Amino acid sequence: MKNVIEVKHLTKSYKAHKAVDDLSLEVHEGEILGLLGPNGSGKTTTMNCILSLLKFDNGKITVFGKEMTPSSYDAKAKIGVVFQEVAVFDELTVYGNIDYFCGLYIEDKETRAQYVADAIKLVGLEDCTKQYPKQLSGGLLRRLNIACGIAHKPKLIFLDEPTVAVDPQSRNNILDGIKKLRDDGATIVYTTHYMEEVEILCDRVIILDRGKIIASGTNDELKALAKIEEKVTVEIPELSPKQLSGFEKIKNVSEVEYDNGVLKVVYRRGKNNLGDMIEYLKENRINYDKIFAERPTLNDVFLELTGKELRD
Amino acid sequence: MFWHNYKYAFRTLIKSKEMVFWTLAFPFILALLFYMAFARLHDYDTFEPLNVAVVNDESYRKDVAFSEAFKSLSEGDERVFNTQYVEKEKAEELLESGNIEGYVFVEENEAKVKIKENGTMTTVLVLAVEQISQSVDAVNDIAMDEIQRANGAVDIPAIYARVAAKISEAQPNIKDDSRVMNIVAVEFYTLIAMAIMQGAMVSSEMMNRCLPNISNRGKRVAIAPTRKSIVVLSSLLAGYTMLFAAVILLILFIRFVLGIELGDNLGLIMLHSAIGSLAATAMGMWLSVILKTNDAAKNVIILTITMVGCMFAGMFGGQKVFFDEMLPIVNKISPVGMITDGFYSLYYYDDLSRFTVNIVSLLVVAGIFFALSIRGLRRQRYDSI
Ligand SMILES: Nc1ncnc2c1ncn2[C@@H]1O[C@H](COP(=O)(O)OP(=O)(O)O)[C@@H](O)[C@H]1O
Ligand SMILES: [Mg+2]
Repeated sequence: MKNVIEVKHLTKSYKAHKAVDDLSLEVHEGEILGLLGPNGSGKTTTMNCILSLLKFDNGKITVFGKEMTPSSYDAKAKIGVVFQEVAVFDELTVYGNIDYFCGLYIEDKETRAQYVADAIKLVGLEDCTKQYPKQLSGGLLRRLNIACGIAHKPKLIFLDEPTVAVDPQSRNNILDGIKKLRDDGATIVYTTHYMEEVEILCDRVIILDRGKIIASGTNDELKALAKIEEKVTVEIPELSPKQLSGFEKIKNVSEVEYDNGVLKVVYRRGKNNLGDMIEYLKENRINYDKIFAERPTLNDVFLELTGKELRD
Repeated sequence: MFWHNYKYAFRTLIKSKEMVFWTLAFPFILALLFYMAFARLHDYDTFEPLNVAVVNDESYRKDVAFSEAFKSLSEGDERVFNTQYVEKEKAEELLESGNIEGYVFVEENEAKVKIKENGTMTTVLVLAVEQISQSVDAVNDIAMDEIQRANGAVDIPAIYARVAAKISEAQPNIKDDSRVMNIVAVEFYTLIAMAIMQGAMVSSEMMNRCLPNISNRGKRVAIAPTRKSIVVLSSLLAGYTMLFAAVILLILFIRFVLGIELGDNLGLIMLHSAIGSLAATAMGMWLSVILKTNDAAKNVIILTITMVGCMFAGMFGGQKVFFDEMLPIVNKISPVGMITDGFYSLYYYDDLSRFTVNIVSLLVVAGIFFALSIRGLRRQRYDSI
């Protein structure tokens, strides 16, 4: 597998504050790599170092097989970036904005017109090409921001939290668009603090905390780190202490929690845990309303590794 | 790439309300306001004498040449001043109560004016006193000249004749429409200089867009596969085009719509504006590079520099000559001062040497700012963005 990006021992401090701490990572060609971490974990800083926007204290960064510098124009021509903050011109229409930024890469007018049209289609802004950014809703504005970053059909795309403060419809559109870009052959680095997005979108995930990588791998590999197999939640209106302690004795159960009529049981391993639980409830004549099982989330992984929640 | 960026930079500029306001609307509005304020002077027939006072003390009476000349401006139908001769306290009182525009007094053999507020009318008074003083100085020179030449036998009548001629020369000048219009011209020159310096805002805005540590759009520019110098240059050129076009429009508006006499050298005025715009562009560029703040703070700084420069250069009823004497350095180093002085010298002197000095100074200023900016821009990676 070819590596599009290689980062070795990257360290970056803002004055005395270490934002990225001895970080090494690789991005494989054709994958969507998720950089997952809470706010302030160093995702944006890492990205800006890779892009040669920021000075760093230590480390080596290679992009497309060559050391990345501010004048790596060949590499830059093949990179597209969607920054965390919306960066468009209020004085230009949707079309004008995309055409302007695309024109920084693509000189030929005909090619550019085609590329701009493709980008508009990808983010679904066909109906707003003549509108100005101020007239767009938050979600549409984000989509415009994305189109401006990727219209030149880059081989390597960075997206920095592109779905923050976006309505669900736009979010789905954005995530679909990103998958499409990957399917068309682009390599994608996707930065976010939403674990749900990483789970549905990314081929591989790197979890960051305080500038360090705390875990990496595919979703399944990471979930194995959570050391739990499944969480079963049962709504039980009434439960005696004796009944409650009974749950703890079930095989493979590592944790039991009962609060406000909701029972949560964590299984360390085992198959058909949900079926066993239903059986157990029937045997012990415990009445329940609802029951469902969940696989562990990346949040559980994060909790396991750092002792804190990933969510805000 | 160069022209692609130029085209879009220009398009966004002329659509930016803020930029259009500062480069076009604001100077045009000021031009109209000035015009209305000066309309009274402009219209010769409706010129009414100003109420002024003179502190009629020992030192005033001793300065015969001055007091005579001033008296002659206060007599007859064509008089410029309604003059009251009073004590110092009374003059102060009259000024306080607004009965007079200002009063004249002589101190240490020098005629001075005290006014309460700066304005068109008081400008006439200050200018008159200044003119008379200059004539009186000239008279003294003539006298010295004659005395030396006479070798003891002083030809009093000859001196008197020359002096009288000199003094009478001074009076009609004040009332002469064109001479009064000169004050107006200076105000408008300063206004044009202001419009030019205001252009620093345009170039600073253009720079902000190119710098990743200042704007997010700058980040996009920084990651594009284009040399920073190309984007910066084409953006600045777009800003310069917009600025220069706005200044030309302003000059044409002042000259042909408002009908203000700006002198015969419209071509040189435009050349001077072009070079002034270059200096303003360089200054805005430099401010953008060194001040890592947002646009609003930068614009406040540019406005302050421009306005203080304008005041020293004679706008808002300020006296260019007065500031030139008090703090000569300001108008020498302030681009607004250089621009105004260039116009001023075009108007007053047939000889272009002083004008040329201003042009060269502006080019030097532009060069320094460009060089400093380029030094700051060479840094390629940032500590923090
Ligand atoms: N320009 C800056 N100056 C100083 N500290 C910064 C700057 N940018 C980010 N930081 C700090 O560096 C850390 C990492 O920030 P960042 O890379 O933006 O995190 P993320 O993108 O994961 O939210 C945070 O603690 C943040 O406060
Ligand atoms: Mg971030």
